[in-house]
This record gives sequence, structure tokens and C-alpha cells, in this order.
Amino acid sequence: MAIAGEAQQKIEAYLNRIRGRLRGLRAEERREILEELRSHLLEKAAAGGMTGAAVDAALESLGRPEELALEYVTDELLARAEVSRSPLRILDSLFRWASLSIVGFFVLLGAITGYFLGVVFLLVAALKPFHPETAGLWASRDASGDLTLSVHLGFGYAPVGGREVLGWWIVPIGLLAGGLLVILTTRFGLWCARLYRASRALPGRG
Amino acid sequence: MPVRDAINSDPVSDKWEVQLRKGCLELAILAALWGGRRYGLEALRRLESDSDLIVSEGTVYPLLSRLKALGLVQSEWVESDTGHPRKYYALTTAGRQRALEMAAIWARFSSSMSRLLAPLNEEK
Repeated sequence: MAIAGEAQQKIEAYLNRIRGRLRGLRAEERREILEELRSHLLEKAAAGGMTGAAVDAALESLGRPEELALEYVTDELLARAEVSRSPLRILDSLFRWASLSIVGFFVLLGAITGYFLGVVFLLVAALKPFHPETAGLWASRDASGDLTLSVHLGFGYAPVGGREVLGWWIVPIGLLAGGLLVILTTRFGLWCARLYRASRALPGRG
Repeated sequence: MPVRDAINSDPVSDKWEVQLRKGCLELAILAALWGGRRYGLEALRRLESDSDLIVSEGTVYPLLSRLKALGLVQSEWVESDTGHPRKYYALTTAGRQRALEMAAIWARFSSSMSRLLAPLNEEK
């Protein structure tokens, strides 16, 4: 009985490590995942006589809890994306991926940058008709004489000494560039997730 | 078998074999559910006994949950005499359809590969 209690504790400790990394999944989903893994582990351990070795073997063959949690998160990201390619949902999943691995962190960073730039381009195109004099892509020389480009949404004053570069062309160009950035960033996020899944080797430990 | 050992120790062949197994896993799971509902461990045991697709157990559960999100399988909890409920999976109509399509693609693919590989196998 003492052995069984210890076995149970080991299993719960393993499940807790997974639980912590599934934050962000729906509570119901998370509960089901943990319940299913618990059921799997108990049955395997029981088949081995509930000994310490049997529990260790059962845990071992499921793999590291961090990696298992990551598979749920990326699989969910890909499954969601097949249903809807909403950037918000993709960012939401990438946030969880970032909390699990350094690769995920950089993917998230790239995605945030891509979406941010995309939104800026879309906004400037949308605001140009309201701020015809100030919204747009501005070129100006800074103190050291270097040319800098900046996007202005048109709130406030036009940059002193600056020159607007594109004029009304910012509307079609902004819409196109913004749309493309959003689409490409989404593709980038999904591509990384697929790459991650493909790179996960199936260890031959059955 | 020394030839097989030599092949398995080569990291390039190893990686290729892993990718091959991975690529087949979705179809293998759908096939394991073809005969009726099964719970995860049961499906895993079937994969291990009926195929030499040595599968990492941790890969199967997230895949099952992904197949569910895609509507290819459905699941239900069933009480068992072991004292803890089991999550059973069954193919949906879409899942059966998908399994049939994949099996047809597989049959075409493997027969053309076999034709292509016939001279290599005769060498042995």
C-alpha cells in the first residue's frame, strides 16, 4: 500500500508539471488531457504490479512532461489554424509556446513584430483620408544627417524638416504591405509550428 | 542481421526512418480505430502488436486530441473496472472517409514504390 501511495505521488507530480504548462488551454480541455494521462499511467503501472520500477517505466515512455505539454500546445495551434487563421488565436497559442521553449519565444517575437508592422501599415492607410497632411511615410534627416524613414499615423504635427515620401500612394501600398505582412506572419507562425512537429523525433522506446 | 544493424546505426537512414514512421502515424491511428472504439492505451498496444511502428507513447495522445479537434474522431469517457475511467475514441464519418482516402493513397504509393524497388530487392 505504501508502494502504491508513492507510485500515485510520482504520477501526480508528473501530471502537475504538465498542468502548469497547459495554462491557457480551456479548463475542460486541460482536465480531460490530465485525466486521460492519469488513466494511462495508472493502467500501465498496474500492469507492472504498481512497483516503483513499473511507474518509472510508464512515466519514461510518455516522455518529458515539458515536451508532452508542448506537443499538445503546438498540435492545438495547428488544429485551430486549420479551422480559423485568426491572428489573435495564433498569437494566443504562440504565447503558450513561448512560455515552454526558447525557440517558441523567438517565434513569438517574430510574430509580434510582423503583426505590429502589418497593423501599422493598415492603420496609416486607413487614417490617411482623415489626416491627409500628416499621415504617411516620412523621410527626415536626424542630427547627424542620416536619412531616417518613419511612419506617421497623422495625430499631432508633421515631423519638422521631414518630407512625406509616398503621398496618397500610402493608401494602396499600406493596405497591400499591411495585408501581406499579416498573412506572411501567420504563415510564418504555422510554418514554425509544423517544423517543430516534424523535427520531434519518435524515439524508438515504445 | 548484420545488414539491418549497419543500416540502423547510420544516422541518415535513422532520421529517414523516423520521418517515415511519423508520416504514417496518423493513418496508423485511424486504422487502429477502424474496427471500433478503443481507448488510448488499447490503440497503442494495437499499433505495437500489429505493426513495427514503434511509437513513442507521448506522441499518440496529443495526436488523438488533434484528430478530435479536426472532427476525425470523437471521444467518450467510459467507467472501467480498474477504478478509473477511460477515454474511448471512435472514428467519425469524416474520419472513416479520411482513413479510406489515406489508405487508397497509401496503396498506390506503396505499389509504385515496390515496382521501383524490385530490382534492388532482387540483388539481395
